[in-house]
Amino acid sequence: MKVLVAVKRVVDANVKVRVAADNRGVDLTNVKMAMNPFCEIAVEEAVRLKEKGVATEILVVAVGPKEAQEQIRTALALGADRGILVEAADAQPLAIAKILKAIVDQEKPGLVITGKQSIDGDNNQVGQMLAALTGMGQGTFASEVNVADGKVKVTREIDGGLQTVELKLPALVSTDLRLNEPRYASLPNIMKAKKKPLDIKAPADFGVDVAPRVKTVKVEAPAARKAGIKVKTVEELVAKLKNEAKVIQ
Amino acid sequence: MTDTTQIIAGLTSLVDPGRVLTDADSLKHYGCDWTKKYEIKPLAIVLPKTVEQVQAIVRFANEHKLGLVPSGGRTGLSAAAVATNDEVVVAFDLMNKVLDFNPTDRTARCQAGVVTEQLQQFAEDKGLYYPVDFASAGSSQLGGNISTNAGGIKVIRYGMTRDWVAGLKVVTGKGDVLDLNADLIKNATGYDFRHLFIGAEGTLGFIVEATMKLARAPKNLTVMVLGVPEFRAIMQVLNAFQSKIDLTAFEFFSEKAVQLVTAHHNVPRPFDTATPYYALLEFEAVSDSVMDEAMALFEACVENGWASDGVISQSESQAAALWRLREGISETLAPFIPYKNDISVVVSKVPDFLEDIDAIVGSQYPDFEIVWFGHIGDGNLHLNILKPQSLAKEEFFKRCETVNTQVFETVQKYNGSVSAEHGVGLTKKPYLHYTRSAAEIAYMKAVKQAFDPNNVMNPGKVFDL
Ligand SMILES: Cc1cc2nc3c(=O)[nH]c(=O)nc-3n(C[C@H](O)[C@H](O)[C@H](O)COP(=O)(O)OP(=O)(O)OC[C@H]3O[C@@H](n4cnc5c(N)ncnc54)[C@H](O)[C@@H]3O)c2cc1C
Ligand SMILES: Cc1cc2nc3c(=O)[nH]c(=O)nc-3n(C[C@H](O)[C@H](O)[C@H](O)COP(=O)(O)OP(=O)(O)OC[C@H]3O[C@@H](n4cnc5c(N)ncnc54)[C@H](O)[C@@H]3O)c2cc1C
Repeated sequence: MKVLVAVKRVVDANVKVRVAADNRGVDLTNVKMAMNPFCEIAVEEAVRLKEKGVATEILVVAVGPKEAQEQIRTALALGADRGILVEAADAQPLAIAKILKAIVDQEKPGLVITGKQSIDGDNNQVGQMLAALTGMGQGTFASEVNVADGKVKVTREIDGGLQTVELKLPALVSTDLRLNEPRYASLPNIMKAKKKPLDIKAPADFGVDVAPRVKTVKVEAPAARKAGIKVKTVEELVAKLKNEAKVIQ
Repeated sequence: MTDTTQIIAGLTSLVDPGRVLTDADSLKHYGCDWTKKYEIKPLAIVLPKTVEQVQAIVRFANEHKLGLVPSGGRTGLSAAAVATNDEVVVAFDLMNKVLDFNPTDRTARCQAGVVTEQLQQFAEDKGLYYPVDFASAGSSQLGGNISTNAGGIKVIRYGMTRDWVAGLKVVTGKGDVLDLNADLIKNATGYDFRHLFIGAEGTLGFIVEATMKLARAPKNLTVMVLGVPEFRAIMQVLNAFQSKIDLTAFEFFSEKAVQLVTAHHNVPRPFDTATPYYALLEFEAVSDSVMDEAMALFEACVENGWASDGVISQSESQAAALWRLREGISETLAPFIPYKNDISVVVSKVPDFLEDIDAIVGSQYPDFEIVWFGHIGDGNLHLNILKPQSLAKEEFFKRCETVNTQVFETVQKYNGSVSAEHGVGLTKKPYLHYTRSAAEIAYMKAVKQAFDPNNVMNPGKVFDL
């Protein structure tokens, strides 16, 4: 079975982002970029499926700037077999989903794995849109994935518990945090990955118009936390919690 | 000595209200550092807020023949910030402000009680970097760092605390306030007393302010962890990388350390296959050519048999996770009540030296389990001996004392140091002569006499008068 994994290049999760001076986004100059953490989990899951003999080929696809080759190379080092970069900076979720649909139509994977969301836009849309566009069943927020007999059983993290769904293949799974713990890219594998095929394409190759459909009106930093105060007695604390914070009655 | 109540009343008149503490909890809390091995007996704790108050305390101590113990974050590992003999502990918690920032000089003028991490954060907010870093940076204070000339994990590139002190304000044991070096880069006007106070462990006077230099922020710090099959190969790896890349860190640890850390913390192994040793390297991956160089060096290490496997961080979170393998060691070992040594030799002698020590401990104490780790790029090794479950704590430490003598004789043979970065305090006082000659120690005492004639400053630490 072929597995397609979508990966995105985003600001490193450890970076403290700053709002850009024009309030139209965040300042990305000299900021460390990395693979979206949920995509790392998606790659890891695909690699485990391959190690189990369930997957036979892993194709990674990134829609992003040309530097997103770095993230594809990382995925190749982790165990993916080949990569496709569709060069389009700042593509929005719908455009990304349309591009992925075109690739799914060409490649006919048995399973598509995406992160549940990317930590830059926090949109949580690409997986769902792609499932809708392709007509595949979707198992989102996966914390466990089992493939057998032409079906995939997905345990989903939902409010207040877990839900298990069974989907016919081909299907789409989006990963949640607890699905697995991604491994490090080993140096010998990074070197081998340099020889793995990586195709570079343009949105036009798939007939997709990536012009933005959603306009960002304004980006603002969250309000700074107010300074704390010291109370002298427990009574004073209780009074403040009751009357000012109104968190107890 | 005047009677205790009078002393306390006197001290109380020197500082802000409520800043002299004598309750049992405070005495215990402020009375000792990380060693927790000595019986604590402070007379009182004083928390000054200004330079003038510190000066008044020193003058008062001279008048009444009191011992003063300077106290920073009390993360010291040599029992230097420990009061065992009715001393007054002077703690700097209230002098914790960054007073001034000068972007042109790239310096920050700080009170002695500024916490190391606070300065790191301050620098980061200014787009700069304070490079002295170690696992206790969240608690240790600049006054303590300077007084122990603290090192840590970035020494290979950035040097020791000493290298980051542009100027100091001190109150000498005599009670004089001195401004040392006035933050100048060039100042050829005789003795530079700044360097006497750095590493003095509070025996000459109090550091009340320090102007610290800041560096430009490093770019894209990237971490590699390599599996190394034998100890000597670690030095080959170090040589290979250092000749081509400016490393910002080079640490090593043993498989035993990895087993303990991964079992106690939620940290994954770097890779599945266990190797006897690991080297952690950090560098600024500023360009593809640096990355290519690093990959080529790794390949060369593998070809030479110096490394068997390796990983590299692909994000800052991964870099941080790999660092935890090293930074988690001290904390993980603590419950085993390890016997610790912090020793150093010149880098080129590390392999022979370590082999000698291993042979001593291995042949004479085969029941002891050893965990090696350290800042090996600086020739600094942390030897940790774990207490066997079956052995009582007292018995264990007694047997370790005899290990000590042999270890330190070996240190002496290699012209090394019995304390690389933790200081002498009480724990290394009996062993000072393995590193310093009798003549040198006599000069140290003469220096102490000049700054602190009545021996009020941290009496009984480093050497006995
Ligand atoms: C988990 C852990 C990891 C560590 N790792 C490292 C490491 O990698 N490298 C390293 O070098 N150290 C390390 N240490 C040791 C310790 O953290 C450092 O030596 C640190 O610099 C001590 O600072 P402190 O403020 O806690 O000093 P304290 O322990 O409070 O005092 C240390 C000495 O400084 C004196 N002093 C304190 N403040 C003043 C002042 N204002 N004026 C004059 N004298 C003063 C004290 O009297 C004492 O002699 C580690 C400690 C721990 C617990
Ligand atoms: C054209 C010119 C350009 C210069 N440019 C610079 C410059 O850019 N930067 C700079 O720093 N200086 C500069 N200098 C000054 C001078 O060259 C330096 O200070 C140099 O370090 C002095 O070295 P010296 O061996 O000539 O010392 P000397 O002049 O012989 O002695 C200097 C001091 O050192 C003492 N001394 C000498 N040898 C010993 C010893 N073995 N043990 C103990 N004490 C000793 C002497 O007693 C004296 O106090 C310059 C001088 C000239 C003439």
